[in-house]
This record gives sequence, structure tokens and C-alpha cells, in this order.
Amino acid sequence: MNGVHDMGGMDGFGKVEPEANEPVFHSAWEARVMAMNRALGATGEWNIDMSRFSLESLRPDVYLASSYYRKWFLGLERRLLERDLIAEDEIASGHALRAGKPLKRKFTTADIGRVLTRGSYGRPATAPARFKPGDRVRARNINPTTHTRLPRYVRGHTGIVERVQGCHVFPDTAAIGKGEHPQWLYTVCFDARELWGDDADPTVTVSVEAFEPYLESA
Amino acid sequence: MGDHLIAVENTDRVHNMVVCTLCSCYPWEVLGLPPVWYKSAPYRSRAVKDPRGVLTDFGVALPKDTEIRVWDSTAETRFLVLPMRPAGAEGWSEERLASLVTRDSMIGTGLPRRPQDDVA
Repeated sequence: MNGVHDMGGMDGFGKVEPEANEPVFHSAWEARVMAMNRALGATGEWNIDMSRFSLESLRPDVYLASSYYRKWFLGLERRLLERDLIAEDEIASGHALRAGKPLKRKFTTADIGRVLTRGSYGRPATAPARFKPGDRVRARNINPTTHTRLPRYVRGHTGIVERVQGCHVFPDTAAIGKGEHPQWLYTVCFDARELWGDDADPTVTVSVEAFEPYLESA
Repeated sequence: MGDHLIAVENTDRVHNMVVCTLCSCYPWEVLGLPPVWYKSAPYRSRAVKDPRGVLTDFGVALPKDTEIRVWDSTAETRFLVLPMRPAGAEGWSEERLASLVTRDSMIGTGLPRRPQDDVA
């Protein structure tokens, strides 16, 4: 979806402000939100792409005005509501008002190692790769209203395939419950002038990780 | 660890920098949770359009002819920058070199500490 989360190339957000000696969490609730996300993710009620889509689907003004963990919290709340695992009146009252719906899997402390390990999304190939390193490709001008990992700033632009990264779960279908449909993944490198015009810094190149359906020969 | 963690090497010609413009993808198995600035709108918006300007925000000025290569982490591949060995650290052991490496130098928004900073 063409949401505010797709920030590459936007102007006006100001300087990057690194914080000296930054703590891992700035408040205890942030750690709790992190833990809640991990524990509920372990139930198998959604996948990582559904999680990302729920954050992207927050109202743009809410997305921009919320801190990182606040967005995580709101996204989690949204996913729980969508699956009838909680209800609005329970959020308002701050506690459960009815018997809980059974979860697909129940998180226990035995799962901690697993949920703190990043998932593996590589899958066996079902067809040969269409592109190879050195190929000129154009990022397709697609504008799905659902989740995609093709950022707007490369759409319609031409780059060079630099690496073939194997076959991976396709986020665009996984995010909407339409299956993994593994696709070849490529590192595609773009000249900054191709992306941002002739005045761009000629020493800069930018790559994205692009799934095969995002690309066409150029 | 998830698969596909890729190290990209800085040289005297190329400087690598890692971003996730769409969310907050980061090699946290190696570097821990990302700092707030990495997940912030200023970094996510500008890293791909004005990486030299972003480096200025970090107090880093590279030679004008150094190529800057930005890696946008748009899939489940993760990138880690291998910083360039600073002048004066020739022949150093792996352990001693590790003492010069900072988190930001592995994201590409910083340079490793210099041997002369390490006298303490």
C-alpha cells in the first residue's frame, strides 16, 4: 500500500538525531510491548508480513505521531481485534470480559529461544530464476492497496541485478493470508541519478531486495 | 539465526550504509535492538536520497569521490557493514581490531575508532 511507512526519499523530517548512551528501552512499557509481540507472535495467529501490514495500516497521522513501540502496541491491538481474540469493550475496561478464544498454539517459556530467533524465509525454488547478475531490470510500476515490499522510490526505475538471494516467502501474498508463494529474490542496484534526477550525487548507488514479480527486463 | 546475513565490506573506495525505509529491519541477532534513530522518519526517509547529509548528522565526512552504497533492507536479508581497518592498525590482532569497532560503524553511519583514540 502507498502508505506513510514507505518513507524512502521523503523530505521534511529533519536531521537524524542519535542519542548518546541510548538505553535499550526508554520505559518499562516498551519492553512489555516487545515481549507481548514476541509471545503472541509465537501463537501462530499471524505471520511477520501480517504484522508489518497491520502497522502500515495505522492511520497516517497516528503512524507519524507514534513512537516505535507505540506503533507496535497499536498494531498488536489491531491484529488481536481483527481475530476476535480481544474486543473493544475489553480494551476499554482493561481486563477480559469473557472466556478467551483458543489460540492456535500456546506460548510457554520453552518457546523463548525460538521466538528470539529470527525466522527462516528461504524456500525451495519451484522454477528457475528469470534474472541473473548483470541483467538490466525495471522495477514495475505496481501500486497494490495491500502489503508490498517494493518501495515507491524505485518503481518505474531501471537498475542492475547484483545478486540472486535465493527463493523466499513472498510477502505480498503472505501478508493477506494467500500463502507463501515463494519467489526469487534479487539485490537490484540503482544509480542515484536514475532515482532522484540529474542533480543527484553521482557517487551514490542504492539497492533494494526485490522479489521477481516486482521486476521486468529492461 | 535467520538465514541470509550478508557482510558488506568498506574499502578506501566504497562506503556501505544500511537502512530499512519501509520499517525497521536490522541484524539484531548480531547488533541487538536498533537505536531509535535507525527506526525514525528522518533516517528512513533521507538515507536513500541524501546519504552524505545523513553522515554529516553523525559527524562523518567522507572524501568527495568515495562511492556510497546504500542497502535498503526490503526483504528478510540482513546487512552488516565490515568497517575499514583504520590507518595505524596494520598488523593488529582480531581482538585488538574488535576494540575499534562500534555499532554505528557496522550500520555504516559511523567510522571505527582510530588507534590513537584507543590509548586509554
